[in-house]
Amino acid sequence: MMRLAWILLVVLIVLCACGSARRGEPFGDLLLTSDSSRHGEEVFMRYCQPCHPGGDAGLGPAINNKPLPGFLIRMQVRRGFGAMPPFPREVLSDPDLDAVVAYLNDLRRQPRP
Amino acid sequence: MRLPHLLSVLLIFSHVLSGCYVLRSSAGGGETSFTPPRMVAAEDIVVPAGYIVEAVATGLTFPTGVAFDEEGGVYVVEAGYSYGEIFTTAQLLKIDAQGRTRLIASSDKGGPWTGVTVFLGDFFVTEGSQITGGRLLRISPEGEISIVAEGLPSRGDHHANAPVAGPDGWIYFGQGTATNSGVVGEDNAEFGWLHRFPEVHDIPCRNITLVGRNYTTRNVLDPDDRGRIETGAFVPFGTSTAQGQVIPGEVPCSGAILRVRPTGGEMELVAWGMRNPFGLAFSPDGRLFATDNSYDVRGSRPIFGTGDLLWEVVPGAWYGWPDFHGEHLIAEGRFRPPGREDPEPLLARHPGKPPRPVAILAVHSSSNGLDFSSSAAFGHVGEVFIAQFGDMASGTGKVMGPVGFKVVRVDVERGVTRDFAVNGGKRNGPASRIGGGGLERPVALRFDPGGESLYIVDFGVMLQQGDHSIPVEKTGVLWRIRRDAPRTGEGG
Repeated sequence: MMRLAWILLVVLIVLCACGSARRGEPFGDLLLTSDSSRHGEEVFMRYCQPCHPGGDAGLGPAINNKPLPGFLIRMQVRRGFGAMPPFPREVLSDPDLDAVVAYLNDLRRQPRP
Repeated sequence: MRLPHLLSVLLIFSHVLSGCYVLRSSAGGGETSFTPPRMVAAEDIVVPAGYIVEAVATGLTFPTGVAFDEEGGVYVVEAGYSYGEIFTTAQLLKIDAQGRTRLIASSDKGGPWTGVTVFLGDFFVTEGSQITGGRLLRISPEGEISIVAEGLPSRGDHHANAPVAGPDGWIYFGQGTATNSGVVGEDNAEFGWLHRFPEVHDIPCRNITLVGRNYTTRNVLDPDDRGRIETGAFVPFGTSTAQGQVIPGEVPCSGAILRVRPTGGEMELVAWGMRNPFGLAFSPDGRLFATDNSYDVRGSRPIFGTGDLLWEVVPGAWYGWPDFHGEHLIAEGRFRPPGREDPEPLLARHPGKPPRPVAILAVHSSSNGLDFSSSAAFGHVGEVFIAQFGDMASGTGKVMGPVGFKVVRVDVERGVTRDFAVNGGKRNGPASRIGGGGLERPVALRFDPGGESLYIVDFGVMLQQGDHSIPVEKTGVLWRIRRDAPRTGEGG
């Protein structure tokens, strides 16, 4: 178990480190693959876009260049981290957060300018 | 190690690798160096397929607005003043087909001229004079200047902003606040105006009742910088306030949208409680929209993480400044600057609940001039285009990457923002930072009368060294974007 855990840790660190420091924002019309993703775009615009415009760095770091799995994104949003405030369920419901994760997954697949 | 603990460790590591806000230095778009002349290369600007970009005029000094006469003539105003305390001559210029300029009118004391519109054959120019206070000017095609409105509270951080003619025949314009968040402080001395006008403060449009909170700072007006001094909200530097104190409202006032008839007369209040309503535009169906530059992390009452706002303007409504960001009280916890206290409310009673913003734009993007597309010949009919001047980090607060320096479009029904004109490459930012000859600081935009071309006013290079802005003269550009071939069957 310990060995597996450390292997996972190393793999994820390498994945995060391999993400470029910043990627350009998506351009033009996005290809959104589901209704959830389309709804997630609207939720993203209200809660995430101000600090991560188009997923790029702004007030906060870029989030379109990190291959974090959905559960880690949810944990980050719920608990906050550093300068990022937590977003509790009263502010961002579970379905809305799921939609944001779906949108982020689509966002990372978009072509860049 | 149990799995939950492992996951926590992974999360922390991922953030350390990607950088955390506290550890990283600011990376604003103006935090770079520049050596004139500015390179201008339209091909370095990326726009959607089917559109082309052209440079119409170059070498402008602090341009802030564009307008068109009935014959399609193109006019630009140069501000005559820029943050960084640079005073030049405010000018209204005609731009000919070769990009040459011809002077229509000018003022040596009026800067900044913040915008222009044409109505009834004349030019209407907002003058946010740092010297004489704000005015709305009417300028004939021959250059004769008359005053439509005066006495605007424009000698602070923000000015009287770009005018627009309403469908009702009135001239509408925004007036920004004197301060970041209601309290005059050391940051206003950095701007320069506090030393010129120590009596300046914010003016509410209606009577307000204060909590009576005061803020202790250095006495920056004391030449020997001795001692500490207390300042409350809506009062001059060094003046304390008391619980329950009423500040009488008046018009004209700070943080408001006002209107006046083109022939002059009494100004009327349209809406209030905004911070810096820089851009105004009527939608094709006659609704008024405004961009509003939101709070900075500076001064006695710094506020963190507030995106610029796009509002639909409801007559008579209060929009929340200085205690709300959008619908949210700034004391909710998520607007607390790292390592600082929560910003506490200043008003004992709020004049209303602010409306829901149409869109929340990037923090520190300085989302300014806007206009609606109304022609299928250009596309995106009914969407609003916004010029984003770009961050002034670290003076307005630290950022982890350049914000703004582009033109975005907003679907006002869904609140969704998309890039429309950006500098090419993997990284966002002004050309002076990322290289090439593309956009620097788009400050205003407007469609031509036919709606076929979008003109973008690029203020030019403005660097930032901490709180200090360093604008560079003769680096402004007027850009034009249009379809490279007419398309049929497209309405948006």
